Amino acid sequence: MAEIAQDQELAPAASLTALFSAFLIVSLCGVGGGGGIVWARRIAVEKRRWIGDREFADIVSLCQFMPGPNVVGIAVCIGARMRGAIGTLAALGGFLLIPWMIGLSLGLLCLKYAHLPVLRNILGGIAATAAGLLIATGIRLLMPHRRRPSALLFAGLAFTLIAFARLPLLVVLFSLVPLGIAVAGIEAARAR
Amino acid sequence: MSDPSAPIALTAHLALVSSISFGGFPTVLPDVRNFVVSTHAWMTNREFADLFAIAQSIPGPNMILMMSFVGWKVWGFPGAVASAFATLGPPCTMYFGAYRIWYRFRDTSWQRIVHLGLVPVVMGLVIASGVVMARAADTSWRAVAVTTAAAAIMLATRLNPIWLILVGGALGALGLL
Repeated sequence: MAEIAQDQELAPAASLTALFSAFLIVSLCGVGGGGGIVWARRIAVEKRRWIGDREFADIVSLCQFMPGPNVVGIAVCIGARMRGAIGTLAALGGFLLIPWMIGLSLGLLCLKYAHLPVLRNILGGIAATAAGLLIATGIRLLMPHRRRPSALLFAGLAFTLIAFARLPLLVVLFSLVPLGIAVAGIEAARAR
Repeated sequence: MSDPSAPIALTAHLALVSSISFGGFPTVLPDVRNFVVSTHAWMTNREFADLFAIAQSIPGPNMILMMSFVGWKVWGFPGAVASAFATLGPPCTMYFGAYRIWYRFRDTSWQRIVHLGLVPVVMGLVIASGVVMARAADTSWRAVAVTTAAAAIMLATRLNPIWLILVGGALGALGLL
């Protein structure tokens, strides 16, 4: 079995203010669906080095299996990983308090001007860019697995079933994940 | 709005659907629409669609904001706060509990196998949702080019993506997309 890329040297545990401000930025920068994954990886993994790519991929995957907004789950988990329950509260507070107030006022304002073409054009341009960023982040997190043909096969299957066959997410998750884990188990047993 | 129990009914309903919103809030959005538009007539279908488009395109916790807008419509600012908590509370409790369990078993060999099987599937899903978003956003070949360029630059460099977002928004404002 191919070796999974080793996580780089990690920084010591984050302070509560650092968690708060990091997730404040994640929240404010994450435009459109999925933006949270892009920015949480950028800040928690690349810049602050709180966790490695492998742990980050685990957290994203874990959150996929639970109800609710997954991005919030990333804040909850990284906060818990760094400082336990209080860290979760700091990360959540940063993620929510200020952005929620800004978003609420901005949204109520937008609702008034939703018909303006310039506003629509700007939002369209941002949405096109944000989609590209999300695709790139998914590819990055898949990279450590690129030498395992079975991993690429399962990633490709999941991609096709959602993007082209348009099956519901839950169906895809609960059919492919057990299979993927079974294959990984067989490979591990053979490698031994 | 005439019914004083409306905020309670909305909050309870949001807490319920957020507990079963596997795959994120968009999966239960049709149900929420039925509840607030058809069952209770708190807003029109058109208003609901506008709120969704706006929640998608402003920064911040989008789906929590979406539900807060709905709460705002029903009961003003207190309604917005109550809806935010109802949407957040149950999932956050579950995330926290699940992560504690996952972290406790972090060095076991079975967890390594779960990681190897699980992560590729989820990353396939992430890339797919990017493509689905692109399909909705890219209404011209120039927009497709912007999406592709954003992905390529993000992969090839360590440039802060905020610059890409700003350029994308500017190109849109100039009417080039």
